[in-house]
Amino acid sequence: MSSYKLTYFNGRGRGEPARLLFAAGGIQYEDHRVEFAEWQALKPKTQLGYLPMLEVDGTTTISETLAIARFVAKLAGMVGKTPLDEARADMVVDVVKALFDKIVTLHFEKDETKKVGLQKELFEKTMPTSLGNLEKLASAEGYFVGNSLTWADVYFYHVTDMITANYPDLLKDYVNLNKVVGNVKSNPGIAKWLKERPETPF
Amino acid sequence: MPSYKLTYFNGRGTAEIVRLVFAAAGTEYEDVRLEQDQWPELKPNTPMGQLPILEMDGTMLCQSNSIARYIAKLAGLAGKTPLDQARVDMVMDGMVDMGNKFAYEIYYEKDEDKKAEKKKDYVEKYVPQFFSSLNKLASDGGYFAGDELTLADIAFYNMVTMVNPYLEQPLSLDGFPNLEKVVDNVTSNPGIAKWLKERPETPY
Repeated sequence: MSSYKLTYFNGRGRGEPARLLFAAGGIQYEDHRVEFAEWQALKPKTQLGYLPMLEVDGTTTISETLAIARFVAKLAGMVGKTPLDEARADMVVDVVKALFDKIVTLHFEKDETKKVGLQKELFEKTMPTSLGNLEKLASAEGYFVGNSLTWADVYFYHVTDMITANYPDLLKDYVNLNKVVGNVKSNPGIAKWLKERPETPF
Repeated sequence: MPSYKLTYFNGRGTAEIVRLVFAAAGTEYEDVRLEQDQWPELKPNTPMGQLPILEMDGTMLCQSNSIARYIAKLAGLAGKTPLDQARVDMVMDGMVDMGNKFAYEIYYEKDEDKKAEKKKDYVEKYVPQFFSSLNKLASDGGYFAGDELTLADIAFYNMVTMVNPYLEQPLSLDGFPNLEKVVDNVTSNPGIAKWLKERPETPY
């Protein structure tokens, strides 16, 4: 039985995809949360200089949000059942991540004029286009791949959950995408985690 | 054997990582290069309105890294165990970070002074720090995962060669012997060496 230790800040952010997947898979892990004050001392000791990090059996470390999430999804049997299904899941995750990256860029942009331009482009063009495409990729039953929950569905839920905090109407008109969110939230392991997880500002 | 058809524009761009993997895998594929005026007609028929796309057996995939990972997987180049696969994924994700930073801060920056400043930061601070971490991840045999060529090694080579033309000088691998070995291993892979000699010369 392997031991898993996830290290991230005390928030959902980039640590939450792995936490949701550990929950969905019913897999035990240590949920190590670092305060910002500890981070400066810890940073030079980390593998790539950022979090999250996953340590496996105390011997191997993996960094990068999606690499970790994909690995945990594999453990939970949620990557897709064939190489082609796995590729479909990867494809959806890549698109959702690109959206998330744009949100993060917008959030940290200091130049006010640039920020307004980015916001306009994101919400008038990029978001509707991506969500429209994702709506077509999701099945009417609410799965991006096959007919069971994969990490593509979970990652989509996570990112849109972060965005809808500020933009509650984000998924208003998207029938299939709402079904995806419903399927993720009603997964027994995830439902339990959503009830129990610490309340954090991000 | 399915037939593979890769479609992109006539350049290396985001498709080249897929072409390099096909070359390393020795897998036959049709390398379709569109002229700009052919694109609008195809665009609405693609999964996400973007290139590259891979078509096989009536199905279409998009997203260069997902396509690359799929072809690598079938050829045994994606890592032999789940943990090695995660290592490969980790390096690929790191390459995405490196590319995104370059694109956003440098390539798309319109203000010339800001651009020059960001380039300096990128080349003198960010890259050396990142390469130092990557050098520790690569083995001294020059492999990011296990002891054979994987997609991670190819991704590293691809990213470095993708940004180099836009910089005053190519990124230095001095002081990063493992990374130098990685590049050697990639360029001396027979399939890749052949492709590098034969591929079309394009401005990007």
